[in-house]
Amino acid sequence: MQLISSTYIAKAAIKKDGVIRHELTEDNWLKECYQKMELDYPKFHKMDNLSKMAFLSLELMKTSAVFDTIEDDTVELIFANTSASQHTDLKFIDSYQHQGNPSPSLFVYTLPNILTGELAIRNKWYGENTFFVASEFDASLFTERMHHSAQNGKKLCLCGWVESKLDEKNMPELEECFLFLVAVNKETSDLAQTNFASDLIDLYKNNQTK
Amino acid sequence: MSDLKETLKSQIIEQLSLEDITPADIQNDAPLFDESGLGLDSIDALEFIVLLETNYGIKISDPSRGKEIFHSIDTLAAFIENNK
Amino acid sequence: MENKVFLSYGAFISPLGSTVESNYESIFQGNSGVQQVIASGFKDENWFISKIDWLKENRYNNLLSTALEALTKTEHKSILASKKTRFIISSTKGNITALPLDVFASTRTIIKDLTGNQNIPIIISNACISGVTAINTAADYIRYSGIENVVIIGIDTVSDFITYGFQSLFALSDQPSQPFDAKRKGISLGEACGIIVATKNKPTDFSVEYLNGTSSNDANHISGPSRTGEGLYRVVKKSIEKSCIKNDAIDFISAHGTGTIYNDEMESIAFSRCALTTVSLNSLKGYFGHTLGAAGVIETIVCMLSLQHQQVFKSIGYEEKGTSEPLNVATETINKPLNIVLKTASGFGGGNAALLLKNVSCN
Repeated sequence: MQLISSTYIAKAAIKKDGVIRHELTEDNWLKECYQKMELDYPKFHKMDNLSKMAFLSLELMKTSAVFDTIEDDTVELIFANTSASQHTDLKFIDSYQHQGNPSPSLFVYTLPNILTGELAIRNKWYGENTFFVASEFDASLFTERMHHSAQNGKKLCLCGWVESKLDEKNMPELEECFLFLVAVNKETSDLAQTNFASDLIDLYKNNQTK
Repeated sequence: MSDLKETLKSQIIEQLSLEDITPADIQNDAPLFDESGLGLDSIDALEFIVLLETNYGIKISDPSRGKEIFHSIDTLAAFIENNK
Repeated sequence: MENKVFLSYGAFISPLGSTVESNYESIFQGNSGVQQVIASGFKDENWFISKIDWLKENRYNNLLSTALEALTKTEHKSILASKKTRFIISSTKGNITALPLDVFASTRTIIKDLTGNQNIPIIISNACISGVTAINTAADYIRYSGIENVVIIGIDTVSDFITYGFQSLFALSDQPSQPFDAKRKGISLGEACGIIVATKNKPTDFSVEYLNGTSSNDANHISGPSRTGEGLYRVVKKSIEKSCIKNDAIDFISAHGTGTIYNDEMESIAFSRCALTTVSLNSLKGYFGHTLGAAGVIETIVCMLSLQHQQVFKSIGYEEKGTSEPLNVATETINKPLNIVLKTASGFGGGNAALLLKNVSCN
C-alpha cells in the first residue's frame, strides 16, 4: 500500500500533502475555499457540507499527475465518518418542523454516501463505492477494505474521512475532510496493512495540528 | 406583476442556493431549466413546488405540471397571479 | 479460485412474520405487509406502508434486539462471541430518534450486550444498496481477512423523517406499490430486520453458496437513476464474470423494483443490455414495501428461500408490462428448478450493487 497523495481541509487550513495551500478567514469557509481555488462548478453550492468538503479536497488533490491515468472504474471509493449525515438530517428536520414544508433538496443529502455520488458525477467514475459509519477514526477499517480491494483486482483506492458534526446547541463541533489516494497491490496488500494503518493514524493526526 | 417577478427571482436564488447568481442575471423569459437559462434540474423543480406552497399557498399535486408552470419567470408569475 | 462462502438464515422480522419460516409461509400465500396508515403523511395523507404493528416505543432498538435474540436461538449461537466473528450492519438511518446524538451508538451497544462480541461492528450506510454491499463486504472479510463468520444485519424503521422525505420527492404511491407495472406510481415504504450469517465452513442447517458480487456508480445524478442503466449493467456483468459463470446460467433475478417510473424503467434497460430479459424476475417490494437499509438483506433471505424450496414467488402488484424493455416478471408463485439466482439493488447517490447465489446440493 503506497500513499500517492493526501489532502486535509478544515476551517483552520487547507493542506495538500501536509503543506498549507490556503488559509481561510470567513465563517462560510467552504465558499471561501471554493472561490480561492477558482473553481467553476455551480452545482457545488447546492451540495451539503460533506459533499462540499469531499469535492474541494479532491479538486485540490487532482493537481497530482496520477489523475491523468484515472478514469472510468480505476478507483474504488472508501469513505467513513462518525456522524453519518447528522448535520443535514437536522437541517431537514428543521425544514418540516419550522420552515413549513419538508425540503426535497435537503432530503436527498440525508445520506452520507451521496458525497461519493458527487465525486463520481464530477469525474465520471464508475467504480465501487461504500460509506461506513465508525465510532472514531478507524485506520484498520480503511486498510482492511483496501486490502480487499486489491484482492478484487483494484490498483487504486480513494479513501476519505469526512465529518460535519453539530453539537447539542446546533453549532459546528467538527468539520474536516481527510482524503488519501493509495496505490494497492494484490501481492503485498495483506502484509502492508499493519504498517500502513499506523502511518495513517500519524498522517491524520499531523494534518489536524496546524 | 414586475414586483412579483423581482421577488420571485430573489426567492428562487435563496431557495435553490444559486450563490453565483443575482436577480439581474435572470431574464424574465429565459427557460429556467435549460442550459441557456439557469440549468436547473429535477430536484430544483421540486423545490419550486415547495416555494409555491410555503410562500404563496398554492399546492401542486402533480409534479409533471412543473415543466409548463416553471418554464420561466414570466410563466411562473402568471401562474401565481391566476391562482392566488 | 477464491474460498467458498456460505450464507445461512439468522433471523427475519417483518410485518409478515417474526421468523424465517413464518415469513416464508406468508410469501407463499401471497400476503402483503403493505397497509394504509392513517395520517402518516406530512399533511396527514394516508400513505401505504408496511409497518410492524407490535413495535411501539424505541422501535429501532426493539427491532434490533428482537432479531438478535432470535439469532441467539439458532445454530449460530456458539460463534457469536468469537474473535473470528464480525458483525456488519446495513442501515440508512439507524436509530434516527437519537438525533442530534449518534444514531448508531445503540446499535453497537445492543450487539455487544446481546452477543458478547468484542470486535468493532462494521456499519454500512450507503442508501438502498447497503444490504447487498454488506453481504459482498462480508464475503471479502471471510476470503481475505481470516474471518470465519460474519453476521450481516439489515435494518431500518419507518419514521416521519423518511416518510416526509420521500413525500417531498413525490416518490410515494397513493396505492400499494406496483413494481414494473404500467400503472405504477411510486414507492410504498416498509421496515424490517433481516440477519444472514456468512460462514467459511458449510453450516449444518440449510445454506446457499455466495459466488460473487460488486458495486458501481452511475456517475450521473445523486437521486435519479441513469437513463442507460449504466451502473446496474456494470454490476451485473462484473458479478457474472467474477463468478466464472455464463449468462444463461442465471435462473432467476430478484430485482430492486421500487415501483417508481424511473427506477423500474432503468432496470429494464440494464437487464436488456445484459441480455437477461427472458429470465424469470420479481420485485419483493409488493410484499415488504421498500425497507431501505434492510432491503438487500431480507430480499437475499427470500432468494435463499426460493433456492431452498425451488420456488419463484410472484411479483405482487404486476399485471401489465410497464417498461420500454420486456421483462419476464413472475405473475404467479410456482415451483421451478433454480440453481443460480441474481440479486440486484440500486440507490441514492448513484449506487448499484449485485450478488450471485448458488444452490448447494446435498443440503
